[in-house]
Amino acid sequence: MTGRARPVISENRRWELLLLTILVVTVIFNVMQSTNYLGINNFINLFELSVEKIIVAVVMAFVIVCGEIDLSVASIMGVGACVVAVLHDSTSVPFTLAILIAVGVGGLAGLLQGWCSATLGVPSLVVTLAGLIGFRGLARILVEDRSIGDFPEWFDSLGQSGVIGPLPFSVIVFFVAILFGGVVLGRTGLGRRAYVIGDNAEMARYSGIDVVGYKIRLFAVSGAVAAFAGVLFAARLGSVRGDVASGFELDIITMVLLGGVSIFGGTGSMLGVFTSILIVLNLRNGLGLANVEANTQTGIIGVILIASVVLRNAFARFDTSSLDTQAPPHHEPAVTNHDLTTANP
Amino acid sequence: MYIHVRTHTNVHGLTTTGDLAVTIRTPTDAGLVQPVLSLRGVTKRFGATTALSSVGIDLLAGEVHTLVGENGAGKSTLIKVITGLHQPDEGEILVDGSPTQLSSTSDAQSLGIAAIYQEPMIFPELSVAENIFISHQNRGRIVNWRRMYADAGEILASLDMAINPRIPASQLTVGGQQAVEIAKAISLDVRVLIMDEPTASLSAHEVERLFEQVARLRERGVAVLFISHRLDEVFRISDRITVFRDGQHISTLPVDDVTQEQLVRDMVGRDVDEFFGRQQTPSSEEPSEPKPAAAALKVEGLSVNGAFEDVTFELRAGEILGFAGLVGAGRTDIALALFGITPADRGSIEVFGNEASIHKPADALGHGIAYLSEDRRQLGLSMPQSIIANITLPSLARYRSRSGLLRTAEERAVAERFRQQLQIKAASLDTPVGNLSGGNQQKTMLAKWLNTEPRILILDEPTRGIDVGAKADVHHHIDELARQGMAVILISSDLPEVMAMSDRIAVMREGRLVGIHDSASIDSETIMRAAVAA
Repeated sequence: MTGRARPVISENRRWELLLLTILVVTVIFNVMQSTNYLGINNFINLFELSVEKIIVAVVMAFVIVCGEIDLSVASIMGVGACVVAVLHDSTSVPFTLAILIAVGVGGLAGLLQGWCSATLGVPSLVVTLAGLIGFRGLARILVEDRSIGDFPEWFDSLGQSGVIGPLPFSVIVFFVAILFGGVVLGRTGLGRRAYVIGDNAEMARYSGIDVVGYKIRLFAVSGAVAAFAGVLFAARLGSVRGDVASGFELDIITMVLLGGVSIFGGTGSMLGVFTSILIVLNLRNGLGLANVEANTQTGIIGVILIASVVLRNAFARFDTSSLDTQAPPHHEPAVTNHDLTTANP
Repeated sequence: MYIHVRTHTNVHGLTTTGDLAVTIRTPTDAGLVQPVLSLRGVTKRFGATTALSSVGIDLLAGEVHTLVGENGAGKSTLIKVITGLHQPDEGEILVDGSPTQLSSTSDAQSLGIAAIYQEPMIFPELSVAENIFISHQNRGRIVNWRRMYADAGEILASLDMAINPRIPASQLTVGGQQAVEIAKAISLDVRVLIMDEPTASLSAHEVERLFEQVARLRERGVAVLFISHRLDEVFRISDRITVFRDGQHISTLPVDDVTQEQLVRDMVGRDVDEFFGRQQTPSSEEPSEPKPAAAALKVEGLSVNGAFEDVTFELRAGEILGFAGLVGAGRTDIALALFGITPADRGSIEVFGNEASIHKPADALGHGIAYLSEDRRQLGLSMPQSIIANITLPSLARYRSRSGLLRTAEERAVAERFRQQLQIKAASLDTPVGNLSGGNQQKTMLAKWLNTEPRILILDEPTRGIDVGAKADVHHHIDELARQGMAVILISSDLPEVMAMSDRIAVMREGRLVGIHDSASIDSETIMRAAVAA
């Protein structure tokens, strides 16, 4: 996760440090707030309630680093869950095959959106907003007003406090997803290309990178992973309705942006996303233990998101304050280097 | 009476007549004229780095004062001090002889100081008139469109610019947009106009128009501070020339008292040929080797609709084929077709005897064709990425280990090799390329494409906007590559450069290749005539 050739190093590092500080404060607050916080059950609870969002957030980090956005993920989660439920309910398709089909449908949905955005040049914000509405509609059509349950026992137990060794399933998924995402983003050619495309897609094309293909594939992966996360969510709930996972996209995007991934693409790290997820989870958990009601919790998360974006912009301005950002024809190298280091607040 | 404060005696001792004499001999009889703007002993430090070391400069009304120096000489910092973006640590700024604080850009603007940059800062969707009056305040709440158009038309007419104030600025060429910026400066009663490399992205024709406008500004009594890397322009337009090197003032001389050689020496601190002067005709050098004369690149009847038509040429290994012509004549378009950015509509491309169908850059790279873009900021480099990441970008697949991870140690080793070979100056290989000077960015970009191990290298304006020293370095490397057998296409608007570097020169006019000449047997006038008209 500490990729060597990561861009805008100083800025990212400081952001990660700030996030870490916030995390520590949150944890200390929680410890003082409630004796239940340190219990193992609460710890399991902490991750379990959000594991699906976390998986999707890892892929979302790639999408946003690429300078794109995928608003349709929660709706595709819904489609994934509903496809599994309907196949289980109305056909004799084996359950594992049903899961594969659901993931495939999600992948196709993402592929379609990626194609529209990358080939036709429609901004992904618009395409996936249409996806958010359209795929939610598809999920509702699939299950109508029903609530479908009675899944195989192994499937239910997968989502409900499954334990592998000493660690709960959800915690393992969290760490594996983050670690895998971090290595891919920071240490592979795939990740390097994501940064370059997000910084300047046209320049990436002039460097021989297949930008259109990359984006289409990325959206397909985003759709497939979202559908898989939807299936996991169905396992945890034990039953599926048409509005399953609706509104999740906001939490997911919050996790990524708070983690320091720039909404304009080209910068950010998985370490930041990791820390920001822990902050959001701990905050929600702590507020819950302190009996703050859910709507107020959401409000507080919203305030934090705004604060993070404002702060991050302030950071960026510090870094460039003594450069003429409007007139970049030539910066003297020694000077700009120095500006970057002395601007440390 | 003012006395020029010289911070550094001329290293060559050629101007022992003293500073007083220098100023008196300017066309406006500077000895008796109060400078509009003077800097005295201005020092600007960034931490341990001294960007400007006790420099002084005087800008006189009705004078074109040119500032030259290599990248990193302190030109940009000086502009930022004059425009109020930076405040000096020591020294003072005098406006009309009285010490003045420029603590913000609006301070500078209200004193009539404006700047025009290489890339026009224009709002493309707004009309020309709106762009001209964009920074006017107190215009009242409701826009009087008719009056605005009339006023804009008047200003444009006074500058002899045939531009309709009602059309959107996006419809203008770069030159036209710069003209609008000049009009904007006039509308703000500009007294000091800084022009920072305004000709860098202009065609030869547009440069002429710009110079006419500069002449008008001079007549109006505007003090123009002109910055350019093109020495021929500098000599044409300047009244006085100031040289900076390493943040220090080296010399200020009237244009008639300075030679090109001396200017270059002052800028670099050593003797440099502006052009490397390639040892030509490699074929005659090696008569012992009976070459099969296999063309590295054979292009026949190549066309891209709306860009160029029926282009046919051959390029041998070890040859440098120059492309001369005006901007927009289709030279870059040919390169883009060969590199697969805009695939050709008709015609054939043969690479070392094999038919090549090129539909995307990856195809071109597969055939060993690399293209160094003319626009290094937008299309050449990823500015926030490190030198390493930029150099290995087009050949990333090569650094993939079996586990899928990048072999970063190998990447670093390759970048280090190029850093030494091309003398890229940077604090570290992890430095974002956006922090490098233009010359070092250009070298990084060259390294990026050399690392793809091309057999055919297309260079589009490889020395645009870089200083004399770096330019000589780049020329040297290009020559070296050709010697090693690389086939090189050199597109450049810098005619002396094309003449000095190429074995043969192809001339383009309005999307047609009008002739290919041996560079030894053609002079620049003939080329220009072929490029402009029949």
